[in-house]
Amino acid sequence: MKKVLVIGGGIAGIQAALDLAEMGIQVHLVERLPTIGGRMAQLDKTYPTNDCSTCILAPKMAECARHPNIALHTYSEVTALEGDAGEFRARVLHYPRYVDETKCTGCGECVAKCPIRVPDDFNMGLQQRKAIYMTFPQAVPQVMTIDAEHCRYLQQGKCGACARVCEAHAIDFEQTAQEQQIDAGAIIVATGYDFFDPGELSQFGYHQYPNVMTALEIERLISASGPTEGHLIRPSDGRPARRIGFIQCVGSRDVRHQRFCSAVCCMHSSKQAVLAKEHDPQVESFVFYTDFRASGKGFREYVARAREEYGVTYVRSRVAQITEDDIHNPIIHYEDAETSRPAQMAVDLAVLATSLIPRPATTSLAYLLGIEIDAYGFIKTDPFAPVDTTRPGIFAAGCCRGPFDIPESVIQASAAAARAAAINI
Amino acid sequence: MSHVTMTQNEETRVGVFVCHCGSNIAGYVDVAAVTAYARTLPGVVFAQDNMYTCSDGGLTEIKTAIKTHALERVVVAACTPRTHEPLFRDACREAGLNPYLFEFVNIRDQCSWVHRLEPEAATQKAKDLVRMGVAKARLLQPLEEQEMPVEPVALIVGGGMIGMTAAVNLASRGFQVKLVEREPELGGMMLRLDKLYPTQDDAQPLIQQRVAEVRRSKTIEVFTASTLHAIKGFVGNYDVTVRDREGRLSSFKAGTVIVATGARVFTPHGMYGYDGERVVTQLELEKQIADRRLQIANCNLQPAVSNLKRVVMIQCVGARIPERPYCSRICCTTAIKNALELRELNPETEVYILYRDTETQGTRYEAYYTRAREAGIQFIRYSLDHPPQVGEGRVVVYDELLGAKLGIPYDLVVLSTPLVAQEGAHELAQMLKVPLDEHGFFLEAHVKLRPLDFATDGVYVAGTCRWPSHLEETIAQAYGAAARAATILTKEHVTSSGVVARVDESLCRGCGRCVEVCEFGAPALVEVAPGIKVARVNPVMCKGCGACASVCPTGAMAALHFTDGQVMAMVRAALLNQK
Amino acid sequence: MTNQAEGFQPRIVVFACNWCSYAGADLAGVSRIQYPPTTRVIRVMCSGRVTPGFILEAFRLGADGVLVTGCHPGDCHYISGNENAVVTVDKTGRLMNVLGIEAARLRLEWISAAEGARFARIMTEFTEQVQALGPTALKDTTL
Repeated sequence: MKKVLVIGGGIAGIQAALDLAEMGIQVHLVERLPTIGGRMAQLDKTYPTNDCSTCILAPKMAECARHPNIALHTYSEVTALEGDAGEFRARVLHYPRYVDETKCTGCGECVAKCPIRVPDDFNMGLQQRKAIYMTFPQAVPQVMTIDAEHCRYLQQGKCGACARVCEAHAIDFEQTAQEQQIDAGAIIVATGYDFFDPGELSQFGYHQYPNVMTALEIERLISASGPTEGHLIRPSDGRPARRIGFIQCVGSRDVRHQRFCSAVCCMHSSKQAVLAKEHDPQVESFVFYTDFRASGKGFREYVARAREEYGVTYVRSRVAQITEDDIHNPIIHYEDAETSRPAQMAVDLAVLATSLIPRPATTSLAYLLGIEIDAYGFIKTDPFAPVDTTRPGIFAAGCCRGPFDIPESVIQASAAAARAAAINI
Repeated sequence: MSHVTMTQNEETRVGVFVCHCGSNIAGYVDVAAVTAYARTLPGVVFAQDNMYTCSDGGLTEIKTAIKTHALERVVVAACTPRTHEPLFRDACREAGLNPYLFEFVNIRDQCSWVHRLEPEAATQKAKDLVRMGVAKARLLQPLEEQEMPVEPVALIVGGGMIGMTAAVNLASRGFQVKLVEREPELGGMMLRLDKLYPTQDDAQPLIQQRVAEVRRSKTIEVFTASTLHAIKGFVGNYDVTVRDREGRLSSFKAGTVIVATGARVFTPHGMYGYDGERVVTQLELEKQIADRRLQIANCNLQPAVSNLKRVVMIQCVGARIPERPYCSRICCTTAIKNALELRELNPETEVYILYRDTETQGTRYEAYYTRAREAGIQFIRYSLDHPPQVGEGRVVVYDELLGAKLGIPYDLVVLSTPLVAQEGAHELAQMLKVPLDEHGFFLEAHVKLRPLDFATDGVYVAGTCRWPSHLEETIAQAYGAAARAATILTKEHVTSSGVVARVDESLCRGCGRCVEVCEFGAPALVEVAPGIKVARVNPVMCKGCGACASVCPTGAMAALHFTDGQVMAMVRAALLNQK
Repeated sequence: MTNQAEGFQPRIVVFACNWCSYAGADLAGVSRIQYPPTTRVIRVMCSGRVTPGFILEAFRLGADGVLVTGCHPGDCHYISGNENAVVTVDKTGRLMNVLGIEAARLRLEWISAAEGARFARIMTEFTEQVQALGPTALKDTTL
């Protein structure tokens, strides 16, 4: 039977895996984190339909878990590769969860009893989770994971509260990392992207001013399943944010940082402005942009609605700096493109649309797989063979190639599946 | 078993699951009240609410409840059956329940989301809808699915780069492909292109290479100067007829269809002084450049023969205006491509691009924009409030960034016009029974997660007939659509729905109304005894629309899953028992 | 509840075809377009599935209005099912006349999968239309 290794369990990896599995090809889907779902799972809604992200993603995740042709390897990484197209041999390292996947029912009794609280990465550190946790309620697989670095038992040898309450006897502190060889005819890389740290741009005061946040942080705040149950509040004082400034191209189209355009920010800022208004009719939003890019299907219509029905104001401008006043209101200093004059605006919350950048680990993965990266650190592909990497038999889809929106990533995933299926004899 | 003795009147045991959908439902509908109300309904022996019924955990709870509460029918009140019904049906199947014993109640898209200002009314409506769903569920019957063989042949409509790329991919996997192209030659729009962005590679070698691959393939049958004449059937099993220009018909079977018919360039008649000579479109300029380059090559001229001193390009001509509000995505990069070529032909040529927003997303196209500026191409921003005026020898434009009016003398004005729907898209959409969007582009099943599928099984879409896209993107779409089609073509069988029509022969008097009304030839009259005819339905051909059941005068024809009894039960439940 | 037009919340049964109108109703939801909570949708595969019997039963049980919705002409997923719906609605209208039910309580509309706003608008308009007629006369006598 044909086999394909898919690296990365976000929407691109999921789509590629499902397409291959439906073609009767055996898929090994390797995901670094304890659950598949990727970035899309962190999103509240998706533009231009404002479909709830989880609602459309969760069925695909569940399908991956159920599909007889898909072997899920979560909390795992590819550590070595040998062989060539048609007969690759990969080594995959499974990290210990310290929870027996076959026994855990995901009931959450252990979470309630665990005494250790740590910042919750999934929620951008805006709330805490326990040392034993499920990343989010729709996680696949539906099992708990112990964060060994913070677990009192694993660090100090005492506690074990989770093991005591677990009626399924799923806690296993003796688990060790396991290595497995996976044979595959082709490989699809779908390892996604990271966000630029706006702390590198000191003029925006991201680390200094509490009410300057990033777009993904806001996304968690406006999410009903997020830390504030969808209330968009100011971190400084917990008051609702009513006047919001969205700063575009933070780190993008900037010769000192990312020269490229991050492709999705014009739309996701518009979406967040619309969602904020839907949640609280008193919200006023201002989007500070240089070029407004919205050429996808239904995008211009969406932006027109944001402007006309949701009262979003688009300010063509260049933002020079953010300061704050004595009550932590961010003050946006910008040059208005229409008047060419400097101007200022005080807001309750400033949201930085930071660049989508290559994951640092992409470079080492690319080295390990013997494929090239481009000038920006993304996986290198050809404009006229868009999902082919520089090595035969290895394909790439989604944001490991560059910044793309969800439909583009899904299309590339299906494309990579077609290419992998054709190569793999 | 205990549950049997509990219910002496053999009441069907219904379980109801009410989804919060995070706060999408629970934010406006009192989910606890709806769940409590469900428990009071006849037949309901179990009801619970879930944060996300569709999550792995939620599905497990359904499966567990089917077993522990001996549920015979499952009702989920959540989002929409259009996206989630297969998932819950599978959960029922996995728990040993026939999947058609499941009923979906939509309390999100058609309730919580549309009555956000009236939570009480929304809650009441949700209760009513649950009552209707339970009423139908009690009458549901287990249905059998039919397995149908798949014809491992792909029909691809459109022989441009996209159709050919999909064809070559599928052929390389051993599938037969029938490639239908309206023009006498394969190649489509790319035949008219000179260079490709962002590499400035020649277009013709790439397209001719693909044509050669198609021509070389033994499993691709090409029909040029031909159009789709008729198509009947269903996923896995289409009967296709193709007609050529002489009117000759060819028929064959196909399992899947890929639509890749491309788009047309909008012709800007009456706009900005368009005359095809001094004011031309980008595509016309492209031809001039190609001709000029040919001339240079043939006559051994110096490259700097282009006598164009100043060229002004105007973006968004006929796009992003009230009657055509969309951005055509490819025009900024196309303008840059031709501007770079003009500078290449004659470095003295000044090129001005009058734009509204540069649509150069991502890594490659932003780099391309940078390259254009570094090559000395002038970008001037205008707004729709002050559109450029093309006068005798001068274009007057209000520069938004400078805040001043500029007059630019020109030798040539080039208008960047959008891609618009292909000719014949409407007829093709009607023939395939797939939808178009308001601009005439094909409308996919789901804009986010099913970008290349139609709602109709087995029919896929790729390329600019779906939306204006860069060549890079459309090639990915071509492969993607090939993958989607291959998910059908690799299977020996596809499973038909159990939702079909069925005749109760004891009631049928053989009038033939069902045969007349069916568009798919599913029912036929069969002589069962001398002079006595009854209708019988071929379930593989039946699409389950129920038209036959509606016209049947005796009630012999049942539209399974939507029987008279089931629909009537919903009507009654909608209007009776108001609490 | 009073009989004043403003306070009168009609009860409207909507038959929606699976492929176009039901999808249009979903799109109204996805787009968060608000309309009155007066309608109860019954999904059928095709508007051609609706029979005079379904419609008359709804009126008999006190529905203040019935709306049949399907794909636009030419767009029917089943080719011509919506043409059958036209026949059904015409025929039912004649029967309603005999029974003394106002013709304006029954309406046939085409709503595509891309027409969320149109779905919401028709729900609003039809609600207003039925409100203007007042409660059905059948409501009190048959139950």
